[in-house]
Amino acid sequence: MAVVLVVDDEFGIVKLLEEVLTDEGHRVLIATNGRQALERAAKEKPALVVTDFMMPVMDGAALVRAMRADPQLADVPVVMMSSIPEVTLAERALGYTAFVRKPFSIFAVVDLVAKLTGS
Amino acid sequence: MTPIAPEQRRLLSGIPGLDTILGGGFMLGGLYVIQGAPGAGKTIFTNQICFHHVASGGRAMFVTLLAENHARLISNLRQLAFFDQARIGEALTYVSGFNEMLDGGLAELTKLLRREIQRRRISVLVIDGLVTAAASAPSDQAFRVFVHDLQEVALATDCTMFLTTNDSRLASPEQTMVDGLITLTDRAYGWRAESDLMVSKFRGSAYLRGRHAYKIADGGFIVYPRIEALLAYPSRGAELAVGRVSSGIARLDDMLNGGVPAASTTMIMGPSGVGKTTMGLHFLARCSVAEPGLMFGFYETPARLRAKADRMVPALGPLFDSGAIEMLWQTPTSEPLDAYGKSLIDAVIRRKVKRLFIDGLTAFRSGTVEPSRVGNFFSAVANELRVRGVTTLYSLEVPNILGPAVNVPVDDASSLAENLVLLRFVERGARLHRMISLLKARDSDFTPSLFEYDLTDTGVKIHDTPDSAEQLLTSARG
Repeated sequence: MAVVLVVDDEFGIVKLLEEVLTDEGHRVLIATNGRQALERAAKEKPALVVTDFMMPVMDGAALVRAMRADPQLADVPVVMMSSIPEVTLAERALGYTAFVRKPFSIFAVVDLVAKLTGS
Repeated sequence: MTPIAPEQRRLLSGIPGLDTILGGGFMLGGLYVIQGAPGAGKTIFTNQICFHHVASGGRAMFVTLLAENHARLISNLRQLAFFDQARIGEALTYVSGFNEMLDGGLAELTKLLRREIQRRRISVLVIDGLVTAAASAPSDQAFRVFVHDLQEVALATDCTMFLTTNDSRLASPEQTMVDGLITLTDRAYGWRAESDLMVSKFRGSAYLRGRHAYKIADGGFIVYPRIEALLAYPSRGAELAVGRVSSGIARLDDMLNGGVPAASTTMIMGPSGVGKTTMGLHFLARCSVAEPGLMFGFYETPARLRAKADRMVPALGPLFDSGAIEMLWQTPTSEPLDAYGKSLIDAVIRRKVKRLFIDGLTAFRSGTVEPSRVGNFFSAVANELRVRGVTTLYSLEVPNILGPAVNVPVDDASSLAENLVLLRFVERGARLHRMISLLKARDSDFTPSLFEYDLTDTGVKIHDTPDSAEQLLTSARG
């Protein structure tokens, strides 16, 4: 199973995804903004990042930009989550691998994580 | 990935009347508190939702938080029509969350519920006994976290959740956080009890505010949306209704300049025995298959009414037989006021009724412990009937048998009817005479005189001139 970094400023969502993905056998890391996520990713080299778009300190778009500019993280797939429709989000964020509209279905998230981590 | 559209997807409750109040049902993935004192019906309410959901192909779970005996719980539901033994243990499961809560607190309980929802693909979840969860929380903050976590799980799994509680605090933590709050109340009024449901919060949709009567019958929980709220605005644009409609009595039509205006409401007021029902039968005798009628009564049983019709208004018999007229007989005091209203409006719609006779307006008062409602109730019903092109006759019994004063037992009778007909007795010597007069007719002139009339074996016969009435009144004044 894979190491998955979950990034969201909403406590309930982070906690839920942590529990669900842990149940699926993944090792789950958590961060509550983009900057914290970058620091954790640099240390732990996750197989996948699942991040919210709107967050304080550093948002999801800036996180993806920073990851793509870092040779160590450039290839790590990123799932972007937002309540904003993807057609609107796509104008504000580039370089993410997949999109999940909030409120999300955990059934769909579990399937997507399995697919992107090859597990 | 296909996004989940979050807006406006509904869970139908399977509780008659409730989805109308909620504007179409509960929001899928919402979290709702069902609050009520012990015995108010929370368990039946939530189980009925579960059974309806599994009957529609969904999966439901009922979680108890007390060390409760599930066999007894299920056994108590057996006599209700929605109960289906075959669903239990498969699409509908009953589990206890008590041990998890005791051993690991609310966090473990949430984890158990989320895992069960995922594993069994549960789409309706009931947590029975929220007070127990609140009592086990170390602080209000911990309980808020529990409710918040449940909300996240509900949303992320598309599982609609119901939390039952008998906590009646108005601003308890869960009430401020959940998507909806429904309160069930059972009140005693003297010897009588009345139950009502009130939605005091419902996110994402308009709903019918205020109290709505409910009852628990063999079929389960039934809610009657308050007619004044349901029909606050008529359900459709008005049908074109022009011209005049015969009262069924030629002389009365003359007094009314050709009959009552089409789609109007007429109230016939008078004491017991003066002939109100007979006048209503004359009115219905003008029905046809193309212009169906409805007799909505309380006091005379269909058999007695049919015998009376056969004797006094023989034209009615074939109309009853052909189905051109339906008789709906209600027992006064047996149903909530809004149940009568629903039954009446449903029959009007179902049969496309054009002539309606409601025999016994005062009986509607027995359907509520708040008689002050009856005026607004009838205003709403009358508006709906008008837009549906129904010409309506009500009978209203007044208490005075004799004398010029008329005590009307409903508030603002004038606003309830566009045409008012007064029937009264006048004493002369040792004999009672009957008199008819018009007090009001919508948008039209009418004959303002009093006329004597007789109740004969062949119905109502109004005298051709007011002469006899004048003589009676002159002699009555002495």
